[in-house]
Amino acid sequence: MKRWLNSILMTAAVALGATALPAKPLELLPSHTGYQPKDALEKGLWLEMDQAEQQVRASKFLIEDPELNAYVKSVLCRAVGTEKCGSARVYLIRTPQFNAAMAPNGMMLVWSGLLLRARNEAELATVLAHEFAHFEMQHSLQSFRDIKAKSDAMTWAGFVPGGLLAQIGLMGSMFRFNREMEKRADMAALQYLSDAGYNPMAASQIWEQFRGEMEAQAKAGKAGALAEEANDFFSSHPNTQDRMNYLRAAARQKTPSTDTGAARYKAAIAPWWPRLIDDQIRLNDFAATHYLLSGLARGQWSAELLYARAELHRARGKVDDIAAAERDYRAAASASPELAESWRGLGLLLLRQGQEVEGRRMLRRYLEKAPDAADRALIASMAGGARP
Amino acid sequence: MPLKAEWTALVSNEPLPVAGKSMKVQPMAGWNRSSAKPSSRSERWTRDGLALNELTFFADVRDGEALYFKPLMAEKDLPKFRSAMLPTEIVELFENSNRMILASSVFTIGKVEPASLGIHSGVRFTYEYAAPDEGISRKGEGVAAVVEGRLYLVNFVAPAIHYFDRDISEIRQMISTLQLRPPKRTGGR
Repeated sequence: MKRWLNSILMTAAVALGATALPAKPLELLPSHTGYQPKDALEKGLWLEMDQAEQQVRASKFLIEDPELNAYVKSVLCRAVGTEKCGSARVYLIRTPQFNAAMAPNGMMLVWSGLLLRARNEAELATVLAHEFAHFEMQHSLQSFRDIKAKSDAMTWAGFVPGGLLAQIGLMGSMFRFNREMEKRADMAALQYLSDAGYNPMAASQIWEQFRGEMEAQAKAGKAGALAEEANDFFSSHPNTQDRMNYLRAAARQKTPSTDTGAARYKAAIAPWWPRLIDDQIRLNDFAATHYLLSGLARGQWSAELLYARAELHRARGKVDDIAAAERDYRAAASASPELAESWRGLGLLLLRQGQEVEGRRMLRRYLEKAPDAADRALIASMAGGARP
Repeated sequence: MPLKAEWTALVSNEPLPVAGKSMKVQPMAGWNRSSAKPSSRSERWTRDGLALNELTFFADVRDGEALYFKPLMAEKDLPKFRSAMLPTEIVELFENSNRMILASSVFTIGKVEPASLGIHSGVRFTYEYAAPDEGISRKGEGVAAVVEGRLYLVNFVAPAIHYFDRDISEIRQMISTLQLRPPKRTGGR
C-alpha cells in the first residue's frame, strides 16, 4: 500500500515538473466521453488505477461470463443513461461480500456478494448508480485531496491491509466519503433510478436489507470483534435509520413505479445463483446468511432457497439444526424433484443419523438426477452399502 | 509458528515418521521438511519450494479440532473435524477450511472417489483454486481417512500449469508407501 501511495506521489511530482496539460473545458465531468484528468494529482491517481485495472483484468477472481457481464452493464446503462455509462468499465469479482466501488479512472468493481443480495434489478441499479454518482461527483478525488492536504497520507495509507482487491474494495473507507458525500450519492442514485422508470422505493430497500444483515451478524457475534466492527461500519456510513428515512421520504416525491425488474433479475443471475449462495454458506457465518436467505425469500421459499437453508443448518450441525435441515431438504426435494443436490443432502444427512436404508435410497435418487456428478464414484459407493 | 521456516532435507532408506508417530512415509529424493507447521498435527514438505510443490500431512486430528491454526485476520472460527463425519463431510471440511485460510471463493472441488490411505479406506478428491492476487491457478489432490475416530489426510498442491501434472504421479507413488498405525481408541464411542 505504501508503494501504491509512494508511486502516486512520485508520479505527481514528475508530472508537476512536466509540461502543463492542454486546457480542457472545466464543466466536463468524468462521466462524459473524452474526460481527461485535470492536474498532476488526478493524473497520478488515474495512472495507479489503470495499473490496478490491468491486474483486475488478469485476476482469477474475475467473473468472465459474457452474459452476466452484459446484463450488469445493461442495468448500469439503463440507470445512468447510455450516454454516460460508456465511461464505466464494469468488472465482476467473485467475492461473497456486499460491495461495489468505482475508481476515478472509470473502473467499476462489483462483488458477487452484491449480486447475491440484490433482490431485483432496481436494487442492483441503486448500488451501481450510487457508486457511479460518487465517480461522477469526483468524491474519491476530493477525499484524496483533502486527506493529502490535512494529514500524513503515508501513515493513513499504510493501514489498508490485504491484496489489491481488498485495497480497491476498501476504497470507500480509504477515501472515507463523508456523510454529506454519501447522502449526495444516495440522492443522485435515487434520481437516476426514478428517471429510468424503476420503483424508487428500491433505493431504501437494499440498504435496509443490508443493514439488517449486519445487525444479525453483530447480534450473533460474541460481544467484541464483530459488534465493534459493525459499529464502526455504521459510524462511517450513513446506513442508519436516518438513511432509510431520507431515502423513503424522497422516493415518495418521485413518480411511482412498480417496475423492479425482479423477474429479469432472477433469470439473469439464475446460472450463477447456486455458486453465489454456496460461497456465502461456506463463510461459516450462520446468522448473517440466515437473515440473508429470509430476506431473499420474503416468505416465499423456493426449492433453491430451501436447499440453501438446509445446507446452512447442516453445516452448523447443532442439535436442532439436523431436524431443520432434514425438513428443508425434504421440502426442497418435493418443491423441485429435479434439484439433485436436495436428494444428496437428504441422503447424507440420513446416513449420518444412522438411517442407512432411506439414506442410501436418497443417494441413489441423487445419482439418477445427476448422472455426471463429479462425486459420483464416492456417492455410489456410499449408496451401495459399503461405507468407505 | 516461527517467522522464518527452516528446512531439513529428508534422506532415508526407510519410511520416516511424519506429523507425529502414527504415520510413516518413504520420502523420495530431493524432498525437504519445513519447521513451520500449518497446525500442531501436521507437517509440510516441498521439493522445489512451496510455490512449486507443497505436500502436507495431517495425522491424529481429533474430534473438535480444526485443520489449521486460525489466521490472525480471520473473523470466524475455522470449521472443526468431527469423528462421525462422512467422507463427503471430510472433503467439505477441507474445502471450507482452505477457503477461509486463503480468503478465496475461487475454489472448486473436482472428482471425489473412494480411495485408501495405508490399509484404511478413505476418500480421494481433486480441486483447483486461486488465492487473491496470485494471478495463477493451483491444482491439488488430497487423500483422507478417518481411523479410530481420528483424521489422517495427505494433500498435494502445485501450480495448475505444468507443475501439478509433472509431479502428481511421483506424489501418488510416495503416498502409496504411507503406513498408518493409529493408536487404538480409548473410551468414547
